[in-house]
Amino acid sequence: MLRANYKAVVIGGSAGSFSVVSKMLSQLRKDFHLPVIICLHRLKHVRSGLVESIRLKSNLEVIEPNDKEKIVNGKVYLAPSNYHLFVEYDGTFSLSTEKPCNHSRPCIDHTLSSAAYVYRNKMIGIVLTGANKDGAKGMKDIFDKGGVTIIQDPKTCEVDTMPKSVARLIKPEKTLSPDQIVEYLNQLA
Amino acid sequence: MDFKHYLQVLKEHTPYDFSDYSDNSIKRRLQKVISDNSLSLDELIQKTQNDQVFVERLVEEITVNTTELFRDPELWPAIYEKLINIIKTKKTFNIWHAGCSSGMEVYSSLIILSELGLADRARIYATDISKRMVNQCKKGVYRYDFNGGQLKAFEKVLKKNPIGGIKSIDFSKYLDVDVDNDKYIVKDYLRDMVITRQHDLVQDDVPFYNKFDVIFCRNVLIYFNASLQSKIYQMFHKQLYPGGALVLGNHESMTGFFKTKFKKNGAVYQKTNAFHFKYQ
Repeated sequence: MLRANYKAVVIGGSAGSFSVVSKMLSQLRKDFHLPVIICLHRLKHVRSGLVESIRLKSNLEVIEPNDKEKIVNGKVYLAPSNYHLFVEYDGTFSLSTEKPCNHSRPCIDHTLSSAAYVYRNKMIGIVLTGANKDGAKGMKDIFDKGGVTIIQDPKTCEVDTMPKSVARLIKPEKTLSPDQIVEYLNQLA
Repeated sequence: MDFKHYLQVLKEHTPYDFSDYSDNSIKRRLQKVISDNSLSLDELIQKTQNDQVFVERLVEEITVNTTELFRDPELWPAIYEKLINIIKTKKTFNIWHAGCSSGMEVYSSLIILSELGLADRARIYATDISKRMVNQCKKGVYRYDFNGGQLKAFEKVLKKNPIGGIKSIDFSKYLDVDVDNDKYIVKDYLRDMVITRQHDLVQDDVPFYNKFDVIFCRNVLIYFNASLQSKIYQMFHKQLYPGGALVLGNHESMTGFFKTKFKKNGAVYQKTNAFHFKYQ
């Protein structure tokens, strides 16, 4: 399947994913040209800290987007605490406080699915280590729209429930270690 | 499903106009109503035209009613640091919670005002599009289990970051607890201080004669599209006294023309005193 001109990378992760994401962002090319949209499960009462820690090592600018903020190439967006993060058709984000799904707000399924409807086959969806099944439905939407689906190799996961839940719903296009994921992203033209 | 067509039907046959809500979220929520009720689009239209009770329930379903006592605990000290300066010198002041949902933020703010010794000078107004939410706000009964953590988180914040010198709060002055029934019950004297009205920000004229010193509208406008947001900012600007403040949600940012008529300080947007012929 020919799928040039990707428009976005969207990543979901939970337990154990913070260090994986930190490391990945420190290894991504400085001139990486796509927006990287990340939804991680996080503690509700702890608003600050996560984005600051991720910023420390990242090669790209990391932002917790506001509602209606325009999605810009080469920037990293982290779903803010206690909001769901959606991608809209006009290339902006929207936020929502509707009830948690899969026990989480932000919910990974919401971010992945909304991105799938907007970017269709021009996106890359990645699910990392995590202890629940959030993200599986979203990855199925990406799969159905023809986008690239990548799961973190369960052997390299702190908790492998999340990528395995994806693999139960669809056959992911790639199963990769974090290093291999970075390698794959860095070689995208 | 053609949800835009449906929103037109809703607009024509009911008092509710959702046509300028954000596409993605209204679509998703309508789809949920349809699948939860196993309806076809035609059936949904039928029911919307004929069944008022259904319409009220639908409005509740497609609007978002999430709220918590002291939501975003870390933000309250910063918000109140600004607000104290605006209200402390006034003999009386008016606060409007626009889109108050079940009222938890109304009482969170009122508890802080009480602690600051400012509550007896405050006139508090609270409005929401949903009748059921307005009634819940009047009742002031909330889940104990769910909110207990919120109060603890807020206490922790206060210790590090006091509001006007307040380092801890004895919540039993404001809330009765019924653990067996999982309830917090706001005390009568606090509930009596709040004037509630059912009100749709999108359509209705403001239901109060007076202007406001502070308008709380946190995480309400995120469900509207950008042009509707501007319209609401204009209305808030008109309803605020010069120097009054609009408090938005943590990740909302005012855009468009009216941005120039407020001074932003975190989540607090203070109406500038500059004289404008047209909008003053």
